[in-house]
Amino acid sequence: MIRFDQVTKRYPGGHEALRNLSFTVESGEMVFLAGHSGAGKSTLLKLVSGIERATSGNVLVNNQNLSKLRASQLPYVRQHIGVVFQDHKILFDRTVFDNVMLPLDIIGFDRRDAQRRVRAALDKVGLAGKEKVMPIRLSGGEQQRLCIARAVVHRPSILLADEPSANLDRAYALDIMELFKSFHQVGVTVLISAHDETLMEDYGRRIIRLREGQFAA
Amino acid sequence: MKHYLYLHAQSARSALLKILRQPFGNLLNLLMLAIALALPVSLYLGVSSLQQWTARLNTTPQITLFMELSSEPADLAAVESSLKHHPRVAAYRFAHKDAALKELEQRSGLNAISEGLGSNPLPHAFIVTPQPLEPAMLDLLQKELSGLPMVELAQFDAAWARKLHAMITLASQLAWLLAVVFALAMVLINHNTIRMQILARQEEIAVSKLIGATDSFIRRPFLYHAAWQGSLSALLCWGLSSWLAYQANPALAEFASLYGIDAQLRSLQPLEVLAMLLGAMLLSMLGARLAADHHLRKNQPA
Repeated sequence: MIRFDQVTKRYPGGHEALRNLSFTVESGEMVFLAGHSGAGKSTLLKLVSGIERATSGNVLVNNQNLSKLRASQLPYVRQHIGVVFQDHKILFDRTVFDNVMLPLDIIGFDRRDAQRRVRAALDKVGLAGKEKVMPIRLSGGEQQRLCIARAVVHRPSILLADEPSANLDRAYALDIMELFKSFHQVGVTVLISAHDETLMEDYGRRIIRLREGQFAA
Repeated sequence: MKHYLYLHAQSARSALLKILRQPFGNLLNLLMLAIALALPVSLYLGVSSLQQWTARLNTTPQITLFMELSSEPADLAAVESSLKHHPRVAAYRFAHKDAALKELEQRSGLNAISEGLGSNPLPHAFIVTPQPLEPAMLDLLQKELSGLPMVELAQFDAAWARKLHAMITLASQLAWLLAVVFALAMVLINHNTIRMQILARQEEIAVSKLIGATDSFIRRPFLYHAAWQGSLSALLCWGLSSWLAYQANPALAEFASLYGIDAQLRSLQPLEVLAMLLGAMLLSMLGARLAADHHLRKNQPA
């Protein structure tokens, strides 16, 4: 479960990315986040994953108040969240397999169990057989899938995706959306941001629309 | 707990493999550290070897008591009995003045000395070997013995012993000073190599932090790398110092034999090797820890 309670985020320099925002996403819910770039979508996702801290207000994730949590505790919150980053953040110095292995190494999985999970995750996103390939040789869509595999390999209870369908043609974007839907169907809370609303409307899920850090009317 | 140990063993193993995967570059690094270590270690070995030899030399200084020319056999007996019962006198030997004259004639080759001189000008003497004592105590003993009745002069050349003692003290202090300086160098060298590694893996560190890596997870591989680097360089240094001693010993033995001493540079004892290994390891880890903490502080995401 994710709950924002009068959350404001002001960046150094004075730019207010979010203004007094309150909402709740129930656990197991799939919610879209819409708005133009600069509306505060990325900031909202960063607050949920504890990458940024709220300037005021409370951010509750899985019943933990991130605003009150010590910095040394934040990594453990992140370990229960999967993030598909807008810029992918794939490591190009290692294979596809080792990229997906990273979250499991961080959590400290047993090696053999971890290898099984990595294969399962790659299989799920359709990258089975590309384990030993270096990411630079993957297409844009495949890199996106690699990023998704890394986000779900440790079976997080919350999955965040920041503009996962950007730069993809519509057919490929729909594929990706189906993938997120399948995670939602097994009980994962899914929060997806996009600036292209036509894609979301097909799904009939709740859409949170942001404009200049507030709910758009 | 078992799982925790498993993860650490895993990190230790992969850090070692990483070193072995780039043998040439890492060997250069290790040699640099080993040479930095070898300097104070060699000096330490030199000083402690010197201390061993001089410990043997120190037991042999002697005090010579020259009696007045007019001393009678009764005076000699009195001095002898006080030497016999003195707690700080280990041994003594009486040198009769006739024997001394004969020795002088033999040594100088002047057989006619006694003929030219009407009587023997040399005094009787006692050659006293004290118990092993500090130079200051030897001085006290010399003063005390010169106060015995009919003793004209108690001669003891303490100056050389004291100079030697002072020199060894200086050298051992120098060894410790060097050790401190090179310990600092050890920390700095490791700080630098680990900092380079961190910069090379900056992206990996940033991504790891974003997906939930704790600071200790980020630090761990670097600490293990430094630990291996430190202990391997200590082993190299052990080899290096043993090789130095092996090379120097024949020449040293020849030199020492001129002075009738059996001198050898000693090599490191097992306990000393262990201490050096642990010391080098901990100092390296300290350098790595400082470098990692600096990076983590500078790149705090939230």
